[in-house]
Amino acid sequence: MAENSKTNTDENSFWKKHIRTIPGRPSPKKVISSSNNNSSSTSFQNFKRSVDDVWDCGVADNEFANESNISLTDITICKTIAESAAINVINNHKIKTDDKSQLDILPMKHANKQNISFSKCNIIKNNNDDGTSKLSKFEALLQTNILELDELKKLSWSGVPHKIRADTWRLLAGYLPANIERRKEVLERKRLDYLNVVQQYYHTDRDEIFQDIYHQIHIDIPRMSPLITLFQQKTVQEIFERILFIWAIRHPASGYVQGINDLVTPFFVVFLQETLNDNDNLDRVDVSTISVDLRNNVEADSFWCLSKFLDSIQDNYIFAQLGIQHKVNQLKELIQRIDLTLHKHLLKHDIDYLQFSFRWMNNLLTRELPLRCSIRLWDTYLAESDSFASFQLYVCAAFLLHWRDKLLLEKDFQGLMIMLQNLPTQDWNDSDISMLVAEAYRLKFIFADAPNHLQTNCS
Amino acid sequence: MSAPPYSYSYIFKYIIIGDMGVGKSCLLHQFTEKKFMSDCPHTIGVEFGTRIIEVCGQQIKLQIWDTAGQERFRAVTRSYYRGAAGALMVYDTTRRSTYNHLSSWLTDTRNLTNSSTVIFLIGNKSDLKDQRDVAYEEAKQFADENGLMFVEASAKTGDNVEEAFVETAKKIFQRIQDGRLDLNATESGVQHKPSQPGRTTLTDQSPKNTCTC
Repeated sequence: MAENSKTNTDENSFWKKHIRTIPGRPSPKKVISSSNNNSSSTSFQNFKRSVDDVWDCGVADNEFANESNISLTDITICKTIAESAAINVINNHKIKTDDKSQLDILPMKHANKQNISFSKCNIIKNNNDDGTSKLSKFEALLQTNILELDELKKLSWSGVPHKIRADTWRLLAGYLPANIERRKEVLERKRLDYLNVVQQYYHTDRDEIFQDIYHQIHIDIPRMSPLITLFQQKTVQEIFERILFIWAIRHPASGYVQGINDLVTPFFVVFLQETLNDNDNLDRVDVSTISVDLRNNVEADSFWCLSKFLDSIQDNYIFAQLGIQHKVNQLKELIQRIDLTLHKHLLKHDIDYLQFSFRWMNNLLTRELPLRCSIRLWDTYLAESDSFASFQLYVCAAFLLHWRDKLLLEKDFQGLMIMLQNLPTQDWNDSDISMLVAEAYRLKFIFADAPNHLQTNCS
Repeated sequence: MSAPPYSYSYIFKYIIIGDMGVGKSCLLHQFTEKKFMSDCPHTIGVEFGTRIIEVCGQQIKLQIWDTAGQERFRAVTRSYYRGAAGALMVYDTTRRSTYNHLSSWLTDTRNLTNSSTVIFLIGNKSDLKDQRDVAYEEAKQFADENGLMFVEASAKTGDNVEEAFVETAKKIFQRIQDGRLDLNATESGVQHKPSQPGRTTLTDQSPKNTCTC
């Protein structure tokens, strides 16, 4: 217990980096006072009370307000929802912790955090349960003459219904314009542009440097996602080759880097699904039987959305992959602040963060998650828009912390390393991703530079 | 809580390097799982594998880093050379370009490892006889000129895979015995059976028997 309280102090001293009280930020003192209380609901309420001042300064925390469909003036309802959410959370949490009763050594501060994070997930889940109303909200929004992109982002953050995912992604990626009347025309033009670029650079004699890029992609693509039969089809592999080649020659500073192919996959699958009937099984569809026009559209849309998506993380793929190295260091610092026990455990066994998190960053977790989960994760990434690069760091942190109890049970380097490179996510589904991103959001909310974040909202 | 019992006397660290698509991950997989992965996805950064083998009556745990072959990952993979007791340098017998790049891989290895690191050259895909692009004799000569151990192997059939990993370990073990490899050096890539998790503190436990392998 003594050690726990010491850890608390360490961590809170970090929280107090900006000494003045910041609205909407948990006051460290209040959190400490509740941290010895075993009742999860009380600690949740304490937390809520400690951040309640956010409502006083007229700062809208749009994310929270929106996710729970609460207007800022409706505080009573907010409390009711928060409390019922808290109860759900506790029940959920009880079920989830039943099988790990031996982990009572878990520091209270950690338990508290989990409860808080679950509450947001619960709201997300409730929204998802009410799938039809969510879908109709999306549909209404997509039909407005001038799309409120911010609204769409907020709505998409917690997951986009399958039926309208393709259109939503096109809008979120900035590929389709907000003005509904211009969408058709822009789409046709962009698709044609892409076809022309392919004609000009792909189906011609290539310069030597382009030839090297092509060769690399060409031998790489057949090795992609070997377990998914869709990607063994020649037609599909050729589509990927063209997308990656065109992207690479348009981005000479990075060129083609292994792993980017995995980032095309969610786009390709979502746009492909859009062309199929609901009952077509993606694993059994023969892409070569789809009409050339439709196939070209899927390819062009995947290309443009990928390009937009990669814009904010280009430094991940340039020489020396500085963007990734920087983020790996940030992840290390972050875990040190959030969960010193885990951090020390990893260091003690000579685990270097680069050894496991490099791939998480390079492939944006696609290698660690089943494809269906990557697609759900893309909803949130796309909704994060330009700040997705920094958000991904917190997703990685939340992902690591998710396994902390299992990791703490591993007592040597190789046990840890093998677990970290093969985390058991096979059974994950959308709700696991919702929890993951909610936790990432919470971490970012607490640990990122909050004052700036609030200022932006004020203005 | 007592320290876990160790079923091995040494840990040797290995690194596997070479061009993209020469079969580094498949060699590792064949060695650790005794299975061939027909289509393994390309390695991003590094991947880790391990197996315990017996060499000269000693149980040795191999900790193996399988590195990504793509040039762009080089900045990251270079950090794994340090502290490697063995380096398996792989080319593809059916693609001459992967053989031509060996000198640059060798330069990296010599610059980034220590002088006692054992370098083993593997010509992979020896099962694809009719696609051979690099003659055995040519590669053998390259290996001899540069003081490397060498076999042609096949991750697909398993031919010579075990040998490459085990012969490297024997050579490392020999170097420990004849004193060429200093166990106390910080980056020797070898740890003697630790009495507790953490760094090796070898003092009076030098191997007594001379290897007769």
